Amino acid sequence: MKVLYALYADPETAQRAVDALHAACSELNFDERQIVIISGEPHEGYDFADSHITRRPYGWAVFGAAIGAGCGYLLTTLTQRAYPIFTGGMPLSPMWTDGIIVYELTMLGAILTALITLLVGAKLPNFKGVIKDPEIWLGKILVGVADPLESSQQDVQECLLGAGAAEVKQFSGVSD
Amino acid sequence: MAHKWGLVVDLDRCTGCEACVVACHAENNVPTVGKDQAAIGRAMQWIRVERSWEGDFPNPKVRFQPVLCQQCDAAPCEAVCPTYASYHTEEGLNGQAYNRCIGTRFCANACPYTVRSFNFFNPSWQKPLNLQLNPDVSVRSVGIMEKCTFCVQRIKSAEIQAEAEKRDLKDGELTTACAQSCASKALVFGDLNDPNSEVSRLASSNRAAKLMGELGTKPNVTYLDRGAWQDAKNS
Amino acid sequence: MQKTVEQIEQDLQRPTGRTQRAAERIEQDLLRPIFTTSGKYKVAVAVSGLLVLAGVAAFGYQLYTGIGVWGINSPVFWAFDITNFVFWIGISHAGTLISAILRLCNATWRRPVTRCAEAITVFSIVIGGLIPLCHIGRPWLGYWLIPYPNQRGIWPNFRSPLLWDFFAILTYLTGSTTFLYLPTIPDFAAIRDASTGFRKKICRILSLGWQGTPRQWQRLEIAMHIMAIAIVPVAVSVHTIVSWDFSMTLVPMWHSTIFGPYFVTGAIFSGIAALILAMALLRHFLHLEQYLTPLHFNNLGKLLLTMSLLWFYFTFCERLTTWYGNTPDEMAVFWQSIRLHFAPLFWTMVICNLIIPVPILSMKRFRTITGTAIASSTIIVGMWIERFLIIVPALDHKFLPFSWGVYRPTWVEDTLMASSFGMMALLYLLFSKAVPMISIWEMKVGLQPHGGGIITTAPAIAEPHGLVLEGPLPTDVPE
Repeated sequence: MKVLYALYADPETAQRAVDALHAACSELNFDERQIVIISGEPHEGYDFADSHITRRPYGWAVFGAAIGAGCGYLLTTLTQRAYPIFTGGMPLSPMWTDGIIVYELTMLGAILTALITLLVGAKLPNFKGVIKDPEIWLGKILVGVADPLESSQQDVQECLLGAGAAEVKQFSGVSD
Repeated sequence: MAHKWGLVVDLDRCTGCEACVVACHAENNVPTVGKDQAAIGRAMQWIRVERSWEGDFPNPKVRFQPVLCQQCDAAPCEAVCPTYASYHTEEGLNGQAYNRCIGTRFCANACPYTVRSFNFFNPSWQKPLNLQLNPDVSVRSVGIMEKCTFCVQRIKSAEIQAEAEKRDLKDGELTTACAQSCASKALVFGDLNDPNSEVSRLASSNRAAKLMGELGTKPNVTYLDRGAWQDAKNS
Repeated sequence: MQKTVEQIEQDLQRPTGRTQRAAERIEQDLLRPIFTTSGKYKVAVAVSGLLVLAGVAAFGYQLYTGIGVWGINSPVFWAFDITNFVFWIGISHAGTLISAILRLCNATWRRPVTRCAEAITVFSIVIGGLIPLCHIGRPWLGYWLIPYPNQRGIWPNFRSPLLWDFFAILTYLTGSTTFLYLPTIPDFAAIRDASTGFRKKICRILSLGWQGTPRQWQRLEIAMHIMAIAIVPVAVSVHTIVSWDFSMTLVPMWHSTIFGPYFVTGAIFSGIAALILAMALLRHFLHLEQYLTPLHFNNLGKLLLTMSLLWFYFTFCERLTTWYGNTPDEMAVFWQSIRLHFAPLFWTMVICNLIIPVPILSMKRFRTITGTAIASSTIIVGMWIERFLIIVPALDHKFLPFSWGVYRPTWVEDTLMASSFGMMALLYLLFSKAVPMISIWEMKVGLQPHGGGIITTAPAIAEPHGLVLEGPLPTDVPE
């Protein structure tokens, strides 16, 4: 993977660069999904960051909690009945004490789903072609285009420089 | 009809001779831990004779009370065991499956009577006691909780014998080691479900009381005591 | 491209230039402890490592000989072991709970606090979870608590509070580890890009190939929000269930309905104390003076004061109810702990948990870093004693006077206890060498003009922001 990119000192100029790339993408023959934005911290209140806001993970967490509760019920109630032991008049699977374990497994389900949702949603783990520039950790924002056509590279560079970057760099895809 | 094993302890008859304690050690392979360990509270006894004084010198009255597992119907020890090592048998005994026990000691803390014995070390027997181990009873290893079983090996053996002979168990056909060795007949063992058994008759006596019956553990061991009878009469 | 002096000055005057400079500083300050190792650090690792080894040796001796090498007896079947278990699980309420609540409340001053708090949580659950395994009579069979199909016909008893413990600790450990790990992913990526060799390889794996796209940041923040919501009820349930180990029995002064909230309060109380102590040490040894500021100690000090009073309220309620009820079984235990055998311990506890901390924490003049650290140290001692006094006096004066006993710990128990503290120190020290003890990216978000963060929409208070900006420029950083 080859990325043409520039580093921007603040989110405003980065936003400008992203807007310019969006405007130029049909002309320069690349898809909007090829635009790469990378930062060392989250930015709020800018279109490039907020366009990904979704509330779906909450729904998934509730779904995971339901799965956890189901597993808890199966584990405590059904297995106990499948493995009957004489409890001398005491209930084999009392609702209240089983409820404690069902509760814990419900929460475990929610937690694990939140983790899985993050991994899937953020496309992690992903060790191939991690685009990086050490300067993003110093507060800069990387904006670029992944795999632009040979013919349009010059135009992409101009686009990035026009938004206020000092220079355009190239990431050749060599990972660690 | 299923059996419901029970024991009656007649405190008015008990002389405190501790023959029951010795018999229990012998019958159930209960190890002796030595006086150093016993002094720091590690003595292992499935039945112990507690001693108390009433009145002051020069005329104290000594009283003895054998305390053993009360074989509760609603046993606090059973519910807390995470591995079902303490469980309830179909004949109403509080069973203890040694192989399942992982030694959390929760049951011993939960037991209000403190009648459970824990193997703090691997057991050993002084010579020649090592030659008299009962082959019908398993020897417990380190880290395991053990307790009075109402001599379940005797119960099982008698039941199997009766079944082979296709008859019901007779009252007095079997008894526990402690009851068998009691010279003053203070301990009586039998089936509480049999209304004609001696233990049933004694358990319904007006001298009868349960040890800490107010806790709601529903013990199957009954104590007979004239004091209790007098209280009942006066009220 | 070399910048001219005029250009640099121009950059400095623009707010973004200053922000970037502060971001660089944060990066340098917080990564420095990872790449530099002092002599003191090595000594601390050696000492705590030796303590852990001593504990391993003592445990080996116990395994070989039998648990009788402890001081436990009949009727005191639980003593130091369960005291330490409850104590460490209590300490674990430092992090996750505090950091989750502060996250949910948008308290922006939390940023430098959360990482070191969450680390305390994870390590103390690990220690707290190991203790029951060491304390059972046959530790090699501890896995029998896990419900899985097997050929030996063993299935756990879901009515046992110990099994509730197992599930609660499992959920809590999974949750807290996730809660600690998620915000470190970007920091691992930062270390990956700043380091070489072995550390780079490890951090490459731990960062899971983090890039920092807007989508990743957004998903990370939302996952943290869900985790924060989920972990609070779990933390409350964990210590409630620990309290049920006692209150589900009939034992006098254990069989109490107040134990759930009482234990949770005590747990948060000791947890905040542990957090303040850890923060004071980190601040001193990692030179984080500009990050962990008097403001944090002041705020946590107020929280600690609240918990101290709440702890006293619960203790008073519990003791008064017992005293007024005046049942003989309970009064035997009551007088043991207040007037007789355990009275010195009881009153030490009251002094440590109430009489020393409350005056220190209620006066602004004393609510300094030193003041809160002193109060926290006494509270940690006091809360350990509190757990001991809940467990042992009740057991050794249980119901029948014939079976009353005396408990005296042996060197094996003392060693194991010291080892648990050594293990905490060791894990914490090693962690501080692997991960920045303050979340770098969250500090940077604090620099953003509006406080930043997709979930955290409240305006930032100026504290970390201002202090970092006013600090010396990156060139002045002491090595």
